[in-house]
Amino acid sequence: MAKHRGRGVATIEYPTGMNQNGDPSQAWVKLKPDGRVDVFAGTVDIGQGSKTVHTQIVADALGVPYDWVTMDNSNTDSSPLCTGTFASRGTFIGGNAVRFAAERARERVLDIAGREMEIDPADLEIADGEVSAKGAPDRKLSVGDVAAAATWTYGELITGTGAAMKPFAEVNDDTGSVTVEPHAAISYAACVAEVEVDDETGEVTVLRLVQVYDVGHAINPTLVEGQIEGGAMMGLGLGLLEAAYPYYPSPEHRGSEFGAYLAPGMEDLPEIDNVILENPSEDGPYGAKAIGEMANNAQPPAICSAIHDAVGVWVTECPATPERVLRALQAKQEPRRDGKRVIFDGEISLARVASEEGAAEFART
Amino acid sequence: MKAVGARLPRYDGLAHVTGRTTYVDDVRAPGLLWTKALRSPHHSARIVNIDTSRAEQHPGVRAVITQADVPQNVYGHLEALGVPADEPLLADGEVRYRGQPIAAVAAEDEATAREALELITVEYEEREPLFDIRLAFDPGAPTVHEWGPVFPHFGPHRQRRVRKGDVEGAFDRAHVIVEGVYRPGAIEHVPIEPQTALVVPEADGRLTIYSCTQAMYFSMGVVAQHLQLPLNRLKFVGGTVGGGFGGKVDTASETISALLALKAQRPVKWRWTREEEFLASSTRAPWHIELADAVTEDGWILGRRTLTLHDAGAYTRFSSYGLTKHAFHHAGAYTIPNVHFDGFVVYSNRVPTTAMRGFGVTSVSYAVELHMSRIAEVLGMDPWELRLKNANRIGDVTPNLVRLKDPSTVPVMQAAAERVGVELRPEYRSMSSEPRSGDLLPEHLVGNAGQTNGTEAR
Repeated sequence: MAKHRGRGVATIEYPTGMNQNGDPSQAWVKLKPDGRVDVFAGTVDIGQGSKTVHTQIVADALGVPYDWVTMDNSNTDSSPLCTGTFASRGTFIGGNAVRFAAERARERVLDIAGREMEIDPADLEIADGEVSAKGAPDRKLSVGDVAAAATWTYGELITGTGAAMKPFAEVNDDTGSVTVEPHAAISYAACVAEVEVDDETGEVTVLRLVQVYDVGHAINPTLVEGQIEGGAMMGLGLGLLEAAYPYYPSPEHRGSEFGAYLAPGMEDLPEIDNVILENPSEDGPYGAKAIGEMANNAQPPAICSAIHDAVGVWVTECPATPERVLRALQAKQEPRRDGKRVIFDGEISLARVASEEGAAEFART
Repeated sequence: MKAVGARLPRYDGLAHVTGRTTYVDDVRAPGLLWTKALRSPHHSARIVNIDTSRAEQHPGVRAVITQADVPQNVYGHLEALGVPADEPLLADGEVRYRGQPIAAVAAEDEATAREALELITVEYEEREPLFDIRLAFDPGAPTVHEWGPVFPHFGPHRQRRVRKGDVEGAFDRAHVIVEGVYRPGAIEHVPIEPQTALVVPEADGRLTIYSCTQAMYFSMGVVAQHLQLPLNRLKFVGGTVGGGFGGKVDTASETISALLALKAQRPVKWRWTREEEFLASSTRAPWHIELADAVTEDGWILGRRTLTLHDAGAYTRFSSYGLTKHAFHHAGAYTIPNVHFDGFVVYSNRVPTTAMRGFGVTSVSYAVELHMSRIAEVLGMDPWELRLKNANRIGDVTPNLVRLKDPSTVPVMQAAAERVGVELRPEYRSMSSEPRSGDLLPEHLVGNAGQTNGTEAR
């Protein structure tokens, strides 16, 4: 009886935005009389930090300091539509909506500034809250003064609206093919899990996760790391601990409280090593692609491959609980060979479990 | 200073960690009523009769609703995509999972609401439930829905299909066929904040709905359709969520609270108990995935056959969407020129499954990646080299005929190898995502890039 170490790798890809598209986000931006900026969008922040990311995007798109910008996503009266916070779409699609709105507002700032400064708006630029003449940086006017002029001199409101949506991609139901790409972008990741398996108890401990994510461009690297590390813990729960139906497919023995459901806790946290790669997307805001959902996809297979590396058995039902690991160790099941076929897991296959007629129905096309 | 790229602190982080964030449950409304729901104790049963009269007369009870009180009771989350509605807000004639809501009560306090539930009598005729989706087509198996065991609306088909290339030929030419079965299980979303809604009927006839939804406009659409109201009668207040992970894409508490608030003409709050959150809220779906890969002795994957069964639970919700996404990504981060995929959404008598982080793809990534490791073992190959060899490259074509423009399977693997000290052989260390040529353009991939409909993916 001993503890064995093993290492497994998994490489994954994941789409940004709703599958088949057709999921709009909208936003609008207005300037207060002192140039401070309000952003309205219906994008819900579920803890991933989308409000912060959207604020960063607006600040740069408009050319004002970050702390001038306030985002309001609090209600459907003042905020326009966002399809929702799901499908890893917040930074890309919601981010593009606020970017487009800020760019329209920027044009309005330049227009009013041009009138005030008697310079063609095309010869003006905005940075750090100041409008200045290209090539003559001492000729400048603060965005606050521009907003005041709009309000008190011209009787106008500086505002901008934006909407982002990729058209719906029809799928051919016979072949599954599409004629329009069915996503906004694709992100990629590799995860290496190093585990220790106790062959007496079946317990698996994840010692280290090394994770590389291509996120296009990290609008906020700290928040990207938050997604990677939070996702890693969810992936660890999925791979090793959590089961809504501990004896699936039986519905019995479901956990009905925290004490009876094993969600990962801080004691399960392995050493986590993150690498962010930046392969910019063509049309995401500042090159960004999604990170949100994919962050819990690579750990379960990496962990299960590491278990095989450690003790030589494949656990292909998730989570790899001590019971499943021990049963696999006891069975030491070799794949069945039939000609050039190498058949793993035959005993849990549809063909074995269902009746002949029932299995045939799933094969009928 | 540029804000984009900066490590700025989270906008709401300080409020969260100092307890100053206002969640739905922190909102106060004068004259508040509390909600409890009567849920099915059976996995599958016919409802013969419901009698709410004693509950209605119970002191402190201000409103009781059943399906008869819902202007449009049956709803479908994917109606916009042409999928017929199939899920009642409150059970009508049948219950298909344990925990399904049948009636709801609004009362002066939670204890009174709980007492009122005891006074509702429901007569059931229990039926045999179905739990093992592999048995769904077996003769004599219980059927969850009258139209049959599986979702029938993938165009004219009852399964999501992907067909590309010459699969028969690939399996004939293969040196080895590796087959495996993968069963990633259901998990809970486990938000710290359970499903909670507060609905205030305003003097002007509007409803203000304080919601923990992940999608305010989506949930507003759900409520508007059940209540048959235009959007200007509703104001959703939200944007702050105490943990969602996909579970709060379901509009679980808002609609019933709104109906009770309208009936009682008082503010109504419904805060699910932890037990309800665990047992009656949706889960991530369990999946059953069978893969067979046709491979050459030197590690090229020539073809793949896939059979996926997606355990939807009792109602469709987003299942067909999730399965289509699963189908689109079933080759993983690799290029497989010949594929045959059949995926079924199968109903069972468990709580409906819904979106969860990685929806549709988490399951197939699990299956594909474990299968890749197995293929490497069967061939006696390095698992890194097997993956890099078959990795997506610029110009490669996916099973659904999208031509990849800038995949990064190769660089993420190279960076991971370097980080953990895996010594790749020189040809793998120097590999790039550039279009295939030479040894990395084997005969079976020649022409693969031509099989698109002109789609360009990023």
